[in-house]
Amino acid sequence: MAIDYRDTKPISFMHREAPLKPDLILVLTYIVITAFGLLMIYSATAPGLESRGLDPTGELKEQAIFVVIGFIVFGIVSWMDLTEIRGFTTPIYFVSVLLLVLVFLVGESGRGDVAVRWIDIGFLRFQPSEVAKVAVILALASLLAAVEPPLRWITIAKSLLIVGLPAGLIFLQPDLGTMLVFAFVLIAMLFVGGATARQLAFLAVATIIATVGVFQLNLIRDYQINRLTAFVDPGAHELTLSYNQIQSEIAIGSGGMFGKGLFEGSQTNLQFVPVQSSDFIFTAVGEQFGFVGSAVVIALIGIMLWRLLMIAQRARNRFGYLVTMGVAAMLAFHVFINIGMTVRIMPVTGLPLPFMSSGGTFFVVMSAALGLAHSSWIRRPPAPGEGPTT
Amino acid sequence: MTSGVRTSILGLVFAALLGVLVLRLWTMQVTDAEAYETRALHNQVRIVPTPAPRGDIFDANMVKLAGTRSALAAVVDLALVENGELEMLSRNLAAFLDEDSASILDDLENARGPQVTVARDLTEYQATFLAEHRETFPGVNIVPQPIRVYPLGEVGAHVLGYIGRPTAEDLERENVNGNTNVGKAGVEAFYDEQLLGTEGLVQYQVDAERKVLSLAAEEAPTAGGSLVLTIDIEAQAQLQQSLKDGLLLARSDEMEQRASELAKQSIAERLVEAQIEAEEQARQDAIADASTAEESSATDPGVDDDDVVLDPEPVKVDPATVLASLYPGLPIDSNGVCVPVQRVTVPLGGDASLSGVDPRFIRLDSIADTDGTLFATFTIGQEKFTVKDNQSFASTLQVLEVQEDKVILYHLDKWCPVRAVGTVLDPTDGSVIAMASYPSYDPTAFVDGLSDDQWAELSTVSAFQNFAVQGLYAPASTFKTVPYVLAMEENYYPMDRGLGDKQLVDDEQEGLPSVPLTSDTDEYNCSGEFKFELNDGTTQTKRDWLSRGHGGLDLHGALVESCDLYFWDIALRLWEERKDDSGLDKENLLQKYARDFGFGTASGIDLPFERDGLVPDRAWFQAEQSADSPRVRPDGPWVGGDLMDIAVGQGAMLTTPLQMANGYAAMVNGGTLFEPRVVSHIVDSEGNTIETLPTTIVREIDISPRTVQWLRADLQRVVNDLGSADKYGGTGKSAFYDSRGTNIFGEGVETIGGKTGTGEVIKSPGSEAFREVDNAWFIGVAPINNPEFVVSIVVERGGSGGRVAAPIARQVLQYLMNGPEGVTELRAGLDAD
Repeated sequence: MAIDYRDTKPISFMHREAPLKPDLILVLTYIVITAFGLLMIYSATAPGLESRGLDPTGELKEQAIFVVIGFIVFGIVSWMDLTEIRGFTTPIYFVSVLLLVLVFLVGESGRGDVAVRWIDIGFLRFQPSEVAKVAVILALASLLAAVEPPLRWITIAKSLLIVGLPAGLIFLQPDLGTMLVFAFVLIAMLFVGGATARQLAFLAVATIIATVGVFQLNLIRDYQINRLTAFVDPGAHELTLSYNQIQSEIAIGSGGMFGKGLFEGSQTNLQFVPVQSSDFIFTAVGEQFGFVGSAVVIALIGIMLWRLLMIAQRARNRFGYLVTMGVAAMLAFHVFINIGMTVRIMPVTGLPLPFMSSGGTFFVVMSAALGLAHSSWIRRPPAPGEGPTT
Repeated sequence: MTSGVRTSILGLVFAALLGVLVLRLWTMQVTDAEAYETRALHNQVRIVPTPAPRGDIFDANMVKLAGTRSALAAVVDLALVENGELEMLSRNLAAFLDEDSASILDDLENARGPQVTVARDLTEYQATFLAEHRETFPGVNIVPQPIRVYPLGEVGAHVLGYIGRPTAEDLERENVNGNTNVGKAGVEAFYDEQLLGTEGLVQYQVDAERKVLSLAAEEAPTAGGSLVLTIDIEAQAQLQQSLKDGLLLARSDEMEQRASELAKQSIAERLVEAQIEAEEQARQDAIADASTAEESSATDPGVDDDDVVLDPEPVKVDPATVLASLYPGLPIDSNGVCVPVQRVTVPLGGDASLSGVDPRFIRLDSIADTDGTLFATFTIGQEKFTVKDNQSFASTLQVLEVQEDKVILYHLDKWCPVRAVGTVLDPTDGSVIAMASYPSYDPTAFVDGLSDDQWAELSTVSAFQNFAVQGLYAPASTFKTVPYVLAMEENYYPMDRGLGDKQLVDDEQEGLPSVPLTSDTDEYNCSGEFKFELNDGTTQTKRDWLSRGHGGLDLHGALVESCDLYFWDIALRLWEERKDDSGLDKENLLQKYARDFGFGTASGIDLPFERDGLVPDRAWFQAEQSADSPRVRPDGPWVGGDLMDIAVGQGAMLTTPLQMANGYAAMVNGGTLFEPRVVSHIVDSEGNTIETLPTTIVREIDISPRTVQWLRADLQRVVNDLGSADKYGGTGKSAFYDSRGTNIFGEGVETIGGKTGTGEVIKSPGSEAFREVDNAWFIGVAPINNPEFVVSIVVERGGSGGRVAAPIARQVLQYLMNGPEGVTELRAGLDAD
């Protein structure tokens, strides 16, 4: 399969080389996961809202609005030309950095959260750090697309700078989870972008040193350390720190092979799992639909990742390839960290589960990211046998 | 590496990550699903134990002595309180309940379980208020909790015991949780298992906020069994009243004796006399020292001996030491009667008054910390004292505790009668009919927890301890029945010491008798003084309690008049013949008889903390000596004198009042030693018997009916033999007959038997009465020909048995034999051993 590494000229809407066909499998998976996510949000929030005398569909409705917005954003971005989008990479990047700075000036904490991550702009509240994820993927892809592998050290340095600026700001919020996403996305993109073995080794060592340094210099806040140590020894913090994780583990484990059935989960109905609709939405799946349901969700995500890799392979240019790989890496890492957290093989970091967790900004941003990859697919060069349509 | 390969590698990484998740989900949801299901189930239910009602306690006639009433308690469920709210909660509770906020906070923070009871007996208003103000009192639940009630207060307290908060060890037991009260003393402790019952359970369906959604299941508690005691509470009340009155009588009697002693010679005269004596002594000591110095300096020619001037240092006598119990600084109560101990708290820089006939003021000048030890400096009059914990000073004071800003002292009178203890036993089956120790306490006070002041006041006089089973006393002459039985059973009598004209000169070797008496009716010369030679060649002198002597007495007379010599001589003969070839272990024969009657071993009564007592022998003596025990002399062997001490219940011999009663019961019932008991059976809430506690026989002692007949007759004479011009008569007579020989007991006095005893606590070298301290004993038996009651009374530091212990026993026996109308006024008897 030939990949054109040279940066190709922008191709206008009118001059596409392959049929403008969506990736039906990707879109279908996206819709199924999202719909299932809405059902899970409803099952997790309805009993609590009802017991407080509120509308049981309250959170479902709120999320549904963002789902609609997300779908629209996905559609628009899909039909936009990646190469045109590439032209806006720099402004997008700096606007997102600006928003991160703004968080410190006008930001707010989310409920039950000590970190300041939100900006309230009247009709909606959103998290600039989510926007920054996509901005960084675009900026990195743009940087790496401009050079040929093997990468030079100066490119590595630039890419570190690109990631470092927003990551540093996010670290100050603080938001450890998002920072880790940046690190993983950076390494993944440099890897597929053509970094040498030495450079990758250097990055690995640097990551380790940075992690150790962060702990040693007490740059991490106590609650972050507590979350991490609670993960190592949950018994010591029962009822306090790792209460979330213990309850989450019980919810998933007690689901068994086939689950307790929709709306039949005791952990879910009695709200034993805190922030279940956002960070711990997977527990609702695990408890109500058991191993089978959980495996289906993971399989759907697997299909999505498989499609993204295919899209990357078929990308018309290096930029499209890198953007798609970046989106795939972000998705995979989010999923692993989030579900890993609910089954207690990863510490609690507050990363949501893409397309399922309740949370507006994240859903819209993930939809946009998926749209970027999808746009690459729509404008793919024709496969053998695929003739031009015009 | 092409980009395609790198894409595939990343794809494999993604697959691996997802694979790990699936594997983990498999182990959780398939392999370990059951364990998680259980945990999920536990999550949803809250199991609240419902306490079982504690069993009641009844006396032998089913009078309720301890019961349970339901009350509303405030229980804090810690799961519902945020950590930061604890302080606020304890402040609010303290303000509402009018209690100390720090102690509530302490209880909450150091809770042994998730639920803490903060108030046990709420009024309805309090309960409603707490329930309605949840935001002010987060986590506070109002739950019904049983409260222990003892309707008769102090009556029977020491047998009943009390209940209290469980210890960490208790919490390991079944049916005990942090809110269960457990028995701490008496039958409440001994039968705690039976009284507790089985906890019930209520399971609530709860949500994550532990909000109760519905009742899931309920298992009713099973009430504990109720104890039916062998105690007759009316007799118990009489015993306690008599003990209390008797102790107060002993104290006022002590004061009268002190006054009459002072009437003979005033304090000033005594002090002058003591001063002269001390100066004379000092002068003689100085001469002795000088002559020693002269002797030693005789070898030194350089010293001129003639110029030695005898100039003794000024001698000062301590009035408290010289005057002993007559010292006017000893503590007294508001009635001017002595008290054995008073607690005095002196604030730093402040004064406290020390009670006494001649009251003093004590001032705490300063407290200094030297190497971690606090030293307090006091001024009393002109004198200064610097003292630390446990130190005694100023003759009557002992430091209990030096604190930062105050000192707590004991103001002591070690001559004042301190306690009266009594037991009434049924000799036909070992049942305890009454048992008490005064000073006592009201077990109800423990229900809400005693205040520090209450605790201090009661613990200062050890009021919580049941001295009938926990008190150890030298049995003194009451023990003489043991060598008496030995003599009768073994046909073993003392050496003939002659009578009248035959009276032998004791200290002449050739004059010493060599033939023993041959029967219990052979007369023995019971003089006032006993000189005897020990194997090591030394001569010792012992004095009988009656210094003028009793004249000729046979074994029976010796018991009736409590002649010490007779029993000493039995012991001495045993000692001297210990190595003969009779085949008997004569050295330990007396101890064997004592142990057969239950001495030296806990009786096995169903009450906690019972003590063994002690029957000393050579093996014990040597073991103690090699352990450097202060209970024996540091060197020298076990000697005949030790055996003689045992024969009259002195020396190291120790018994509990219960053991004494039980030993007598076995002697007068024909030789059956029972295991005493206070609980006869256990019934359920409907009164059906669940468990019968059988009468247990420890051993049958082989004693002949003749011995039993004689013993009963002799015990009867102790009370009823009024004596004659040359015979003292029974040592217990003065409690039952007045000085003119008129019966003050009432009907059936001739059916009463008994034995007095006077146990030396502090010996007085000069035999001055006001220096001596004795424990008074009396054992009563009635009716003597077919005994149904054995009464044992001890008045600690009460003086002689005949004087205070016998009158107390007389009242109890009057009650037992003639009913409440038969009880007559308490008054002191005559001093008699």
